[in-house]
Amino acid sequence: MSYQGETRRNKSIVQALPVAKNEQDGADLRLGDIPLRQEVELVSIDLPAHLAEPLLERGVLPGCRICPVRSSPGGDPIVSVDGSLLALRRETAACLCVKILSQFQDAD
Amino acid sequence: MDELHPPVADGATVAIAERYEPLVALVGPPNSGKTTLFNQLTGLRQKVANYPGVTVEKHVGQVRLDTNREIDLVDLPGVHGFSARTLDERVTRDVLEGKVEGIRPPDALVLIVDSTRLENQLMLVEPVLELGLPTLLVLNMCDELSERGGSVNDEALAERLGVDIVRTSARSGEGVDGVRAYLAGIDTSHGPTEYVERTLSNQGRGVSLPVVDTFAARRKLVSEVVQGADFVPPGPSAMSDRLDSIFLHRVWGPLIFLGVVLLVFQSIFTWAVPLMDGIDFGISTSGEWLSTTMPDTWYRSLLVDGVWAGVGSVVIFLPQILILFLFLGILEDSGYMARAAVIADRMMFRVGLQGRAFLPLLSGYACAIPAILAARTIDDERDRMATIFVTPFMTCSARLPVYALLIAAFIPNEPILGPFFGTQAATMLGLYGLGIVAAIGTAFILKRTILKADPTSFLMELPPYRIPSLRTLALRLLDRSKIFLRRAGRVIFAVAIVLWILMQFPRTELGAPGIEESALGQIGQVIEPVIRPLGFDWRIGVGLVTSLAAREVIVGTLGTIYGVETADEEAVALQEILKRDLTRGSAIGLLVFFAFALQCMSTVAVMRRETAGWKWPILQFSYMLFLGYAGAFIAYRIF
Repeated sequence: MSYQGETRRNKSIVQALPVAKNEQDGADLRLGDIPLRQEVELVSIDLPAHLAEPLLERGVLPGCRICPVRSSPGGDPIVSVDGSLLALRRETAACLCVKILSQFQDAD
Repeated sequence: MDELHPPVADGATVAIAERYEPLVALVGPPNSGKTTLFNQLTGLRQKVANYPGVTVEKHVGQVRLDTNREIDLVDLPGVHGFSARTLDERVTRDVLEGKVEGIRPPDALVLIVDSTRLENQLMLVEPVLELGLPTLLVLNMCDELSERGGSVNDEALAERLGVDIVRTSARSGEGVDGVRAYLAGIDTSHGPTEYVERTLSNQGRGVSLPVVDTFAARRKLVSEVVQGADFVPPGPSAMSDRLDSIFLHRVWGPLIFLGVVLLVFQSIFTWAVPLMDGIDFGISTSGEWLSTTMPDTWYRSLLVDGVWAGVGSVVIFLPQILILFLFLGILEDSGYMARAAVIADRMMFRVGLQGRAFLPLLSGYACAIPAILAARTIDDERDRMATIFVTPFMTCSARLPVYALLIAAFIPNEPILGPFFGTQAATMLGLYGLGIVAAIGTAFILKRTILKADPTSFLMELPPYRIPSLRTLALRLLDRSKIFLRRAGRVIFAVAIVLWILMQFPRTELGAPGIEESALGQIGQVIEPVIRPLGFDWRIGVGLVTSLAAREVIVGTLGTIYGVETADEEAVALQEILKRDLTRGSAIGLLVFFAFALQCMSTVAVMRRETAGWKWPILQFSYMLFLGYAGAFIAYRIF
């Protein structure tokens, strides 16, 4: 798993972390890079545990489908995930590693 | 349960067991309709209870059952999980674990979820069921589920989870009788639940797996259960989507946001005025009536001039507070508040706060106390501290009478921009601005010094837009009035009596001493050297001391000190007398002092409870006092 333990003193949330290298396609694609209305699958959460936990509690779990639906006036993403609308900061979206669903996977 | 609690044989215990009213806790995620169901079940039979130790304003209500029995129902703050990151989560966890002093462990639970997001919401089911208490699962918003084309087989769900299930639409009241029937059926034969060591957490039992694994496992379980119950998720809410494309629009979004904030302000200051005038009239005429009908004894002046006028000076703010809370209630229940928080987040983030601070800061314009309590939903402890630290800089309604008195007396009204915006209005606006600047600056400094932290995250769920329920709004307003009046009653009552006593002693042969010789006057003279550099004399000093109870008390105190008798002419007469004792510079200094200083003991007390210690309130009080003193000194020199 690629979340970090309690590392409270780090300067930035974005850590140079081993990002799910076993994924064959687009290992370093982040939620922040995904255009609106493109549904993706969450691969891993690249955040320390205390920041990842609120996401996990709201159903943002590796394997779940996320779709950016609009962007807030401040430029932050609003995503549809697990039946709810969730507003994130773009800094957080930049820490969510995702992969694009192939057309065949889309069908289910 | 029956194995755990063998039937009691002892006659005396049986008698107690028959009499006790079971305690049921209502749990669920935020926005699942918990409070609406609570209101449906308890109506007016609820009270806000404060429990020692934790900082809580928890709602406990009584549900009257058909069988002439009653049960106690506790409404707990909505939670997503049990990591106890936020104060709300901690409260919920502690009550469920039976660890809160003064509230016994619950005998049964009602878990309420939004059925349109069943999978997401059922993440709470596993930890809740692990408590081993009889549990009712309420599938709320079932009308919305079917309207949007979703469905679920609740019998299959009940079987899989091993709990009872009731479908409701708490807003229309549909299905609430089912919940009532469940509550009536709670087995009370074994007596109250005894305290059992329980632990609720986001971690799995026994082995401590990384959280992500625990969640993945929990989620897998939920998905299996939900799929087994033929859950068809509802289609997206087209209405909400359309509204979001307006309210979160790049241009319209911020404009509407600004419009909403302005509307809230406008209503506090204009719509409240007739109501406040009405209350003022009621208080002063009844005060006059009291003084003419009561015999002229020693306690008449205590009752009329002290207690009645004192309590009246606070009750007058009730309309403003109610209008503010009406607006906040509508904004919250309709779902707009979540959008407002998202819009505010970017701005707040720059100064070191976050979007969730928007609601507390806006509430701070009515009163800092509910605002500080509203900050509990902020999940990052440092963000919460920074928010509640700067909240008292927001211009609360208790500052208004002070501002109104001094501005009317010392600022000549000359037009700046047409007839509606003159120097007086500009001064008022400037004082509001001063508070905002102080709050922003303070938050900025705090987050770079003692509250320095890694960037935190901001997550906000955007619930579908809903029409607020009148019943819920009305109950909320009633609740707020009760809290406010109770506080006003206690604090102001006490201050009025203490002030009155201090003015009666030391006795002279003629009876009460002159104000300057009284104990109160002597206190003022002790303070005078400290406030001389600000251009204040001992009279203002006395006002500063009494206004620690509540800012607006200074108006009444000055009235008493200057011996202005009748309530009606008080305002005008007081202005004239003040002009003799204060220069324009020192009056502006006094205004600045009130904009900054934490002249409110109730806020200090709430801060102590909310931060579990004296460190933060003392720091806050000293910091704000310093700012107030420095600001007043500078203003006195400039003007």
